[in-house]
Amino acid sequence: MEQPLLNRSVMIVLQPSSLKESLKLLNENPDAEVIANASDLWPRIRNGEVKPKKLLDISGLVNELSYVKKDGNLIKIGALVTVSQLEGESFVNEKRFSAFKDVIAKFGSPQIRNVATVGGNVCAASSSEDFIPVLLAFNAKVRLSSVDGDRYVNLEKFITGKRKINRRPNEILTEISFEDPGEGYISAFEKVGRRNILIINLVNMAVVGKIKDGKIEDVRIAANRIKGKIPERAKNTEDFLKGKTLNDDTVARAKKVLSEEISLTDDFRASANYRKALLLAMLERLLFKLGGEQ
Amino acid sequence: MAQMLVKVNVNGIEREVLVDPDDRLLDVLRDEFGYKSVKEACGTGDCGLCTVLMDGKPVLSCLVPAFQAKNHKVVTLEGLNSDPLMKKIQDQFRAHQAAQCGFCTPAMEIMGWHLLNRKKEPNKQEIKEAISGTLCRCTGYYDIVDAIYDAGRPE
Amino acid sequence: MSAQTAEEFLTEIQKKAERGELLYIGKELRRLDDLEKVLGSPIYTNDLIPRNTLYARLVLSKYPHAIIKSVSVSKAIGYPGVRYVLTHKDVPGLNESSTIIPDRPLFAFNKVRSTGDIIAAVIAEKPNRAQEAAELVEVEYEQLKPVFDPVEAMKPEAPKVHDDGNIIKHVKVRKGDVEKGFQQADYIIENTFRTQHQDAAPMETETAFAVQRGERILIIGSMQTPHHVQAAVAKVLGWPLDRIEVIQAVTGGAFGPKSDEPPYDVASIAALGAIKTGKPVLMSMTREESMIAHTKRHPAIITHKTGVKADGKLTASKVQIVLDGGAYASLGVLVIVRATFHANGPYEIPNVWNDGYKVYTNNTYTGSFRGFGAPQAIFAAESQMDEIAKKLNMDPLDLRLINMLRPGSKTSTGQLMDESCGLPECLDAVVKASDYRKKKKLYSKQDGKIRRGIGIAMLHHGNALGPEGNDYAYVHLSVEKNGKIHLGTGLTEFGTGAISGLAQIAASALGVPIDYFTIDRPNTLVHHETGPTVASRVTVIGGNAARDAALKLKQKVLPVASKVIGCKVEDVQIVDGYVYCKEKKGKSLSWEELVKEAYEANIELNTLGYYMAPSCKWDEETGLGSPYNQYTFGAAIAEVEVDTETGLYKVLNYYVAFDVGRAINPKSVRGQLYGGTVQGLGYAMMEELVHREGYVVNPNLKDYYIPTSLDIPEQIQTFIIEKQGSMGPFGAKIVAEPPVVLPGPVIRNAIMDAVGKGVNSLPITSEKVYKAIKE
Repeated sequence: MEQPLLNRSVMIVLQPSSLKESLKLLNENPDAEVIANASDLWPRIRNGEVKPKKLLDISGLVNELSYVKKDGNLIKIGALVTVSQLEGESFVNEKRFSAFKDVIAKFGSPQIRNVATVGGNVCAASSSEDFIPVLLAFNAKVRLSSVDGDRYVNLEKFITGKRKINRRPNEILTEISFEDPGEGYISAFEKVGRRNILIINLVNMAVVGKIKDGKIEDVRIAANRIKGKIPERAKNTEDFLKGKTLNDDTVARAKKVLSEEISLTDDFRASANYRKALLLAMLERLLFKLGGEQ
Repeated sequence: MAQMLVKVNVNGIEREVLVDPDDRLLDVLRDEFGYKSVKEACGTGDCGLCTVLMDGKPVLSCLVPAFQAKNHKVVTLEGLNSDPLMKKIQDQFRAHQAAQCGFCTPAMEIMGWHLLNRKKEPNKQEIKEAISGTLCRCTGYYDIVDAIYDAGRPE
Repeated sequence: MSAQTAEEFLTEIQKKAERGELLYIGKELRRLDDLEKVLGSPIYTNDLIPRNTLYARLVLSKYPHAIIKSVSVSKAIGYPGVRYVLTHKDVPGLNESSTIIPDRPLFAFNKVRSTGDIIAAVIAEKPNRAQEAAELVEVEYEQLKPVFDPVEAMKPEAPKVHDDGNIIKHVKVRKGDVEKGFQQADYIIENTFRTQHQDAAPMETETAFAVQRGERILIIGSMQTPHHVQAAVAKVLGWPLDRIEVIQAVTGGAFGPKSDEPPYDVASIAALGAIKTGKPVLMSMTREESMIAHTKRHPAIITHKTGVKADGKLTASKVQIVLDGGAYASLGVLVIVRATFHANGPYEIPNVWNDGYKVYTNNTYTGSFRGFGAPQAIFAAESQMDEIAKKLNMDPLDLRLINMLRPGSKTSTGQLMDESCGLPECLDAVVKASDYRKKKKLYSKQDGKIRRGIGIAMLHHGNALGPEGNDYAYVHLSVEKNGKIHLGTGLTEFGTGAISGLAQIAASALGVPIDYFTIDRPNTLVHHETGPTVASRVTVIGGNAARDAALKLKQKVLPVASKVIGCKVEDVQIVDGYVYCKEKKGKSLSWEELVKEAYEANIELNTLGYYMAPSCKWDEETGLGSPYNQYTFGAAIAEVEVDTETGLYKVLNYYVAFDVGRAINPKSVRGQLYGGTVQGLGYAMMEELVHREGYVVNPNLKDYYIPTSLDIPEQIQTFIIEKQGSMGPFGAKIVAEPPVVLPGPVIRNAIMDAVGKGVNSLPITSEKVYKAIKE
């Protein structure tokens, strides 16, 4: 008895050649899965984890969506900018954007950096995506485009759960933007896994902040897990730190606040207690990086 | 059927091939075009042995949908075997016994070639970083690093 | 450039002649098979398949322990592109795929005992279609109570994995009076050590291709022992051996599982598929299939009880090893033998009581993997030594110096070590190179969050098969008209360089440069059955056979040369391819010319070399005697740096020395020292194939971590010690396996030195180090 082919053998692949065409096609086919270079999605399609009937392939829109530009005080990154491309951008060399440099250095593998896109990283919406904590710490916004126009959403509100994003079926994420925090700011990112490269993070953390005359004028902290299964900001810890003098005592107390703010679970890679211990150690290290110590 | 016609330039030759939507560039290179140097060892993008150059950049061909290869230039080791720098690298691999079982050798040579084209006389740490996404289970990496290091130096 | 005069040439030849058979021994010659590898030529099994090949994918068991009530393949057969679905019903011969104990079916039919059991194989036009159709095979199960803990499985009330109890094998060593030994001790130290499932993770997975050729079936595959694969397929098909031709293709890494049952599975499935469909079939395991269904390294639970006097002299050692044997016995029945014989470490201990058990559980099955029981045994033994040193407040180096094996010592089985015991030289080399005493002193007074430590580990490793069976090999040499010498053997190459080493030995014994040699692919139709390529025995056992074949060949050509150059047979010299008379009178010939003359004289230039090792004598009940003909020795020292806040650590320096008897090709030896050490570092630091309730949680290279180029120490300093053994060619000892054994204990001991506490289970993750520090 003839069996029907599974979805992935008969997927309809739409390959528009412009953003305008993409938005039109997506509007007509809201059940299509949007893919760029698909380094996250492709294995999951092939093993049946995700079963799209249609694919909208926007990888060809590099002309329109792989820009990095400064527009006033905003840094705007097109969704198709690859990690390698970002490495070559001048802004990542500036001290206040060190966190980006840190992420890039340990992202995936050299081959993966050539195809993984910032947009793809954000849409994957999971704790394994290194760019998300950094973008959260920079208060990033995403731009969602459709035939109805553009919609801007804070990254925090865009990721609603593990692999869940606030994207309407006819929308494509086309840009990530964030405000240049300005002179005096420093940022840093760290991650830990079971080996030195190509890892699923045990923990990672990004910090953006400004220390003036020894006082923490501003600080934003994001980690791959705080309370749940997605990267989040450690708001309580941030609130505690703002305005305080950066010294051993403050850091020790901040670690206590973070410890209470964190709620993790065990899994086969690490226990909740150990991840917590790593996050606390990371907080201390990153705060001192803000203060100028190594 | 949902098959698609894909035009792609592989090793300097313009080619056309009919692919299924779930085919990978890896499958097309090996099964359609016969470029067997490209290996499959994990299928999940974690070993690097399927590495090819796409528009001059190393990518994992097991993660590239075949339908996305269109209008790109793909180069495999077969397309580099007559390149003088690659010959130098291969001579050093032989001298250092850097190919033990040989399964990772094509990918390692491509990453080495790509590095030596961009950076003059890289040091061993830079070489280790360049091959950090390419796994070897036999050599422990030292002889591979030494081979690329020596290939990067003048005769 | 001045040309060499005839006189200079002859002087050079004379010098070379003085080396005799050692002409090329110890030279770092290139491997004969390297060109095709660096060119990326199509040489592996998957590269050789024709376009009309069909592809197979496996249907594995859904449960770790269950009765199979029914299997329905009708939906799968109806899937587009599917040509056939194999189940046990399709086996014309014996539905068996096992080595020593016939406890494992090829296709599960009444019961499944692990999630690695194969129920069916779907054969289709494309791998994806086979994969998709595999999901449509319907199996009805009745679940049974499983057992996953091997210690629990030993109890009589435990669920039975097979009908006759769960203890597959019990090995004993009983030396002296261990209770008396404990009474004589001033201290008794007891500890339990645990190790994990390690996956061999060769870059090329288990693969076989089959095509019918008239009355025969041709199987090409990735394997360690073609003759065993041939026998296994013959069993399954119910065909005589001569109808099955097995050729080993260039193999992309092996490490043990490819000498065990997995290659039988893929070859049998490919063969059955080819017969049923009439088309060529490729059965190439995906990484996921491989990591679930092939053999792993046995996890171990090892308890040590050691008695020691205050002066450091060990008086008694009682060890129990329990290996998680998984659902089927495989070659693991021999793994427990090696583990138990080496359980006490390389020390002289008068009273020994060892019990080794391999036990069935419903985890995926475990078997042959580089080291073969030694990694587990030595991890426990060497960690225990540092625990003893701590109790005595003694430097672990001094404790080892007091008790270690030296010429004149006796092992745990009472075997006497002779002058070829190079353990003292190995230890000395790494102690000196690492500046151990100075570093130990320096690291004893540290404060701050970052701590460094230095550790030692040593081993002895009985050579070749020893108690595992007859240790023999056959090597063929045949010469073509143009002088090219074919070396053929059923022994296999898969990255070690050992087969090139056979050519190097043959070249050296014959007196002809290695460039004349070419290696033929092992083929069961052509090459004599030669035992398995395991236990690192190619150089030691195969090398003797290669030398024998070369000397036989020399005997055939000497009379021809004698006639042509006008010289007595006993005065003919063949040196570096130059054939001349010792008295330097008369003509001289090149090797090619001599071969031409031999052909003209109708002398056939085909020889078969053979060697069988002396059989080993030891008592099955007490384990006492000489289970191995000779031993390899090794010692390593490592320095680590630990971040005490997080438990994260890195290996700063690694020094390793091995007594290899005679290094036939020192570069190839170093290749094994590097590669084995890094695979051992993976075992020590990061590799863990996690089983939860019988399911492999991480059957992929994304979540199973093997070392990358950024995870290795800055350098590994190697030292080759040569204390010639009695068995191997020119005194060679085995080298390929034991380097993987030392990283586990040496890293563990270095970390203990750094933070004051030892982690007693592998892998030593940063979380375990963190926990050890906090407690």
